[in-house]
Amino acid sequence: MISLKINGVDTTVDAQEDTPLLWVIREHLKLTGTKFGCGMGQCGACTVHVDGHPTYSCLTPVATVNGKSITTIEGLSEKSDHPLQKAWVDLEVAQCGYCQSGQIMRAAGLLANNPKPTRTDIVNHMSSNLCRCGTYPAIMAAIEQASAEIADEK
Amino acid sequence: MKNRANDIATSGISRREFLHSTASISFVVGTGGAIAACSSGAGPEAESTVADKTVTPNIWVTIGANNQIVIKYAGTEMGQGSMTHVPLILAEHMDADWADVSVETVAVNDKSYGNPIFQNNLYTAGSTHVMVYFDKLAHAGTQARKWLMSAVAEHWQVPMTELSTKPQVVAHAASGKEISFGDIVASIELPTEIPEVDKSEFKAKSDYRYLGKSIMRRDVPAKSNGSQLYGMDVQVPGMAFAAIHRCPVEGDGPAIVDDVAARAVPGIIDIVTLPYGVAIVGETVEATKVAKSKLQVTWTEKSPFRKKNLDTSLREYQSAAHDLDLAGVAWGRPSGDAKAHLSSADRVVEATYSSDPAYHAQMEPLNATASVSDDGKSAEIWVGTQTQSLTIMGAAEALETEEANITLHPLSMGGGFGRRSVLRQQYVDDALFTSRALKRPIKVIWSREDDLLAGQFRGPAVQYLRGAFGADGKLTAVHHRVATPYNLPTMNKHRWEASKPKDVISMLGSENSTYDIAHHLAEHIPTDRPCRVIAYRGVATSYTKFAIESFVDELAHDRGINPLEMRLQLCHKNPRMTKVLERVAELADWGRKMPADRALGLAISGYSRSLSAGIAEIAVDSSNGRISVLRYFGVGDAGFIVSPKNAQAQLLGNIIFGLSSGLHERVTIKDGIVQQSNFHDYRIMRMNEVPDIQAEVLTNDAPPTGVGELGMAMVAPSIANALFTITGKRVRHMPLAPDVVLRALNT
Repeated sequence: MISLKINGVDTTVDAQEDTPLLWVIREHLKLTGTKFGCGMGQCGACTVHVDGHPTYSCLTPVATVNGKSITTIEGLSEKSDHPLQKAWVDLEVAQCGYCQSGQIMRAAGLLANNPKPTRTDIVNHMSSNLCRCGTYPAIMAAIEQASAEIADEK
Repeated sequence: MKNRANDIATSGISRREFLHSTASISFVVGTGGAIAACSSGAGPEAESTVADKTVTPNIWVTIGANNQIVIKYAGTEMGQGSMTHVPLILAEHMDADWADVSVETVAVNDKSYGNPIFQNNLYTAGSTHVMVYFDKLAHAGTQARKWLMSAVAEHWQVPMTELSTKPQVVAHAASGKEISFGDIVASIELPTEIPEVDKSEFKAKSDYRYLGKSIMRRDVPAKSNGSQLYGMDVQVPGMAFAAIHRCPVEGDGPAIVDDVAARAVPGIIDIVTLPYGVAIVGETVEATKVAKSKLQVTWTEKSPFRKKNLDTSLREYQSAAHDLDLAGVAWGRPSGDAKAHLSSADRVVEATYSSDPAYHAQMEPLNATASVSDDGKSAEIWVGTQTQSLTIMGAAEALETEEANITLHPLSMGGGFGRRSVLRQQYVDDALFTSRALKRPIKVIWSREDDLLAGQFRGPAVQYLRGAFGADGKLTAVHHRVATPYNLPTMNKHRWEASKPKDVISMLGSENSTYDIAHHLAEHIPTDRPCRVIAYRGVATSYTKFAIESFVDELAHDRGINPLEMRLQLCHKNPRMTKVLERVAELADWGRKMPADRALGLAISGYSRSLSAGIAEIAVDSSNGRISVLRYFGVGDAGFIVSPKNAQAQLLGNIIFGLSSGLHERVTIKDGIVQQSNFHDYRIMRMNEVPDIQAEVLTNDAPPTGVGELGMAMVAPSIANALFTITGKRVRHMPLAPDVVLRALNT
């Protein structure tokens, strides 16, 4: 049994130690907002936060996060109202949408440490995540909009 | 968002209940114009109340006494937005309140909802939905409105002409009386005759509340919080998981399966031999993956594909393209006599272009979930598909059963791009065959490696173009020979039967539709395929436009004419294309002085009767062949634009897809086996490579046409044209990858 804190809830899962965290999240715990895209840390669709750090869940054996705190897209905000999510909806970023949970989680990791990123910061941080529909310009704009909202709140 | 197909797919509803509820839906919508009342959400044995009452003036819309409206959507959503903007056409013309409208995806193969471009199948491809369904849904909405108004006129004893509507309300200005659509259904007897309407009764554009106003796509909120359900996300009670170990060569299959080690993996339920591979079934995804790595399979070695290599294929294609004695299949509408003019012309320019296969790389690896009945003759399927019809037809064929025995739950797609548009969908077959063997619901999940290894790609092509100038220096003739495989036979044998020997997937874009060329012949030289080939985003335009638009620049260079001027001359009979060209030239400041190491390159493309032009501003590192696209300017014209915001997003996305595909993307085949396996060796564009892009979609009063593939095909030739301006070297192979560029620079 492996103990995890997922989205603030303590839980235990019956999984092999080397099971990728991704499959534990998606199929053991049925939190399907986190996506499978490549299985080798190339696309970022599986990005979640482990103790606040954006992490490829597809490359993370579940045993290595025993006792750690995991946040998935479902736990990013209570009412889907993280500034990034509001900007994502306002600017209609998503097309097929499959990569967007990972994009949002990656971006949330950036803003948590760097609330006013430059365009270069954003590009450097976000280039780990692929989007086949080509929503990159909208992702850039949404991160900038969310950053501005966070700055206004402070 | 309300999407009943999705709701049902996850509600854990039993198969019997599901069949029951779909049956009642189909009764309601059975024949055009028939009215029927049913109690939604309750069986016929339940007592219906006034609040449950619904009416259906036509197959597209249901109006409830609770003032809720349900509009049918005949497509499927993969990011293009038509799940919102096609039903919106009906809502607009009916004067429904969009906030009270839910959208229901049609999940049956009922040709009355079909797409006439695709044999009346329910088929989402070719950027056709707004174009094809606009008038149908405008008609259905206008008819529903008129029917409600006629009932109110009768009830209030006032002339119809004195009535008007505002969202979901019929109003009588003279008396100040108003009644909601829901109250009409609840309290007024509706005429049994559904009124006829004609196009002259459609709402005037000037009165639109929704169309042209960028109404938000309904799927956006769920796609911003992880709650949108894709095929991959389906949870069916009692299901097991399967991984597929597919023979890497098409046409071969397992000869010897050593599954001892695989079966010993904890959680493995069974190993099932299929004609083309082996299914590894387990209680968890991870068990199937571990077991797959322990499976030892010896494959048969009889497939002719084992002899296929991409470089050999391309050489064969080139010989075929150049062999003018080898007659091709004429495509489009040939004009004049191109061959005769070329043989007698004052000057002939010729060039040969080639392109590698390309992979869809949809972000969601292919997957399907199926529950086959114990007798193996009926099934329930959960899958992201571009075609309800073909998925149902293909599943019925796979199980050798009737279509009526297949229940489909179409789910959101994490990208389509043509990959999910064929009759026999490999991943659906996988799920059906495995579920039939296990007598249990099975979710099949392909790995990214599976997705490439069993990929069905945009086929390779070699194109030979010849152009003739008359004595006055004007371009008089073009002969365009496209050596590439047929696609339709492997996509859908029924469509092929109806279309052969012409294949739109292989040839689109080579027809002479935009330029004024008196003598034009495009010919398809069908060639053997080295790999599986099907439709790709933009289908053939992604290579035909690369050849044509590079060639137009070569012709302009030969004449010493500015490439923009050349195109404006060739488009002189096409005012819309002229406007698009002029606008993109203005955006890019075409003709501005550039430093020696930078240049602008221009190309046009079109798709689904839409037009576009693009200008790339690039630099190149001649030491390694790396092209940097510094800025991109794109302009589109798709007639009247239903959602400007979405159209602009689609054009932007297409330009990025075109940059990615044009600069990097390449599948290679060795001994019948795909050589790429994941995103490390099949590169798609990342954010750090995206240039500053200015994209504009013009709007006008022409009928609306497609935006989902608008502008993609112009990108690669515009870059190749800019590269020529900088280096004086012509790159005639796509992708314009560093090794390809370097080879051209060193010749």
